[in-house]
Amino acid sequence: MSSASKTAILELNEVGYSYEKKRPFIEELSFSIGEGDFIGLLGSNGSGKSTILKLASGILKPAAGSILLWGKALSVVNNRDRAKLISYLPQSLDISVPFLVKELVGMGLYPYDIPPAMSVDDALEMVGLIDKADARLTDLSGGERRRTFIAMTLLQGAGLLLLDEPLANLDIKYQIELVKLLMKLREVKNISVVMALHDINIALQFEKVILIKEGNLIGSGRPEDVLSKDMLKKAFDVDVEIRKTGNKGIFISFENNL
Amino acid sequence: MSQVRIGVLLSIAVLVILSSALFGPRTIMPFNLSDIDREILVSVRLPRVLVAFLMGMALGASGAVLQGILRNPLADPYILGISSGASLMAALGIIGGFTFLGPVTVPVLAFTGAVVTGGLVGIMGWKRGGLWPERLLLAGVGLSFLFSALLMLMMSISTDEGLRRAMLWIFGDLSMSEWSRIPYGLAFVAAGILLPVTRAKALNALILGDEFAHSLGFSPQRERVILFISVGLLTAASVSLGGMIGFIGLLIPHIMRFFLGADNRLLIPASALGGGSLLCIADLISRSLLPPMELPAGVVTAIIGAPYFLYLLRRKDVLSI
Repeated sequence: MSSASKTAILELNEVGYSYEKKRPFIEELSFSIGEGDFIGLLGSNGSGKSTILKLASGILKPAAGSILLWGKALSVVNNRDRAKLISYLPQSLDISVPFLVKELVGMGLYPYDIPPAMSVDDALEMVGLIDKADARLTDLSGGERRRTFIAMTLLQGAGLLLLDEPLANLDIKYQIELVKLLMKLREVKNISVVMALHDINIALQFEKVILIKEGNLIGSGRPEDVLSKDMLKKAFDVDVEIRKTGNKGIFISFENNL
Repeated sequence: MSQVRIGVLLSIAVLVILSSALFGPRTIMPFNLSDIDREILVSVRLPRVLVAFLMGMALGASGAVLQGILRNPLADPYILGISSGASLMAALGIIGGFTFLGPVTVPVLAFTGAVVTGGLVGIMGWKRGGLWPERLLLAGVGLSFLFSALLMLMMSISTDEGLRRAMLWIFGDLSMSEWSRIPYGLAFVAAGILLPVTRAKALNALILGDEFAHSLGFSPQRERVILFISVGLLTAASVSLGGMIGFIGLLIPHIMRFFLGADNRLLIPASALGGGSLLCIADLISRSLLPPMELPAGVVTAIIGAPYFLYLLRRKDVLSI
């Protein structure tokens, strides 16, 4: 099923944003996120991935264009209603507060007066951390911490998960574990995921990628179409090539660069 | 579970208040009151114990809230300079011998100084439509230095008696406690604690970061303004009740976090009760140890509190906000 035929949860229409008054950073950016989408946001450091996620989550307000959440302007949706639909996790989860895992996950219920059917234990069960419920957040590994926050967003019940480089600082085992978890959640709960990431190998496993350069969208679609040698050269200014080995095994080769 | 913990703290607080009222240089038998004991209890002990408890509550609760909004484990109610502004005004009243409002002149001056300084810190901490933790902290530290210097200047050119009384007040003086301080103290402390208790979820989210707070459905800037106002009210109330008493605002929230966890829904009332109890005990010790001399209560809080805190720090390394 292509994303075009899915119902759009979030639509960005010709969105513009600038950090400094005179110099626009993002101009006329348009894309949409459909129900059940699993999208990788790729681009070099400073290309605007974080800015785009912050615009999509409503943290930053666009200077131009519009952002629609289920067809309604995101800027007029009240904070708590928005929190029930969109959840955003920043890149750094380096938090020194000794909250317990179950306390942190329980914060997912903050937008609700009447709690939804899911419990803290259910959410921890789904991310495989039920036996860590009483541990302190500060005692967890990077991967466990990331999963704790994912459990919080599950309880929050948002159908759209915006993740800023969730795989950064995780070793390959935790990276695979996290992506598998998110893909499972997509299957079970029909959650849409948009994730900024740097690992092209992992992005190749997604059904859709968006390639960003200097705040502009330079390609979007199936990874094997978008992540061509030319496009990667354009986005990252490197000569790399994607090689297929067998059916699923894909890797990028940078032998000409080293 | 949390109700049980608050219940335990509340029981301790009641016990502490009762024993502080009955014990001291002269022990009062509650079931066999002589006229003089009744007079001491009603006119001296009770107002003093209640002022101490209210002041301790204000310090403990405002410390917990401030450490949260500034995301800084070293923050205490005095770091924002609010107390320096209050001390400057109080010293002005004491040294200048002002009595235009009767016995509440100095507390009212202190309160005014605190509110004006809080406003100034807020204005300086404001940028791009919001209050920013780092700006607040630096503005507070800057103002604090300025007001301390002015205070020193005033003290260095004042007479001996005025100087001694101003010094006593600045180091925390509960001996002047009177019933007249209780109603406004109670009003501001109650308001200053209820406000952040109703916003405790937002504070939990703010501690994680503005982006988390946003994602969980709060407006970080709006919440920070509300919480800052509550800290201002509490600090102003505490300084005008009994001057400056260190330790409680900084370390009681850490001690409570150690026992009860970081959730502000529990932490704020617990820090209030813990702060009130500690200051009452410290005041009891300060007036009982070497009668008729009184030690400054702030000295006692630090002498009994700091070693205990250091012991906790050695035992476990989770004392962080």
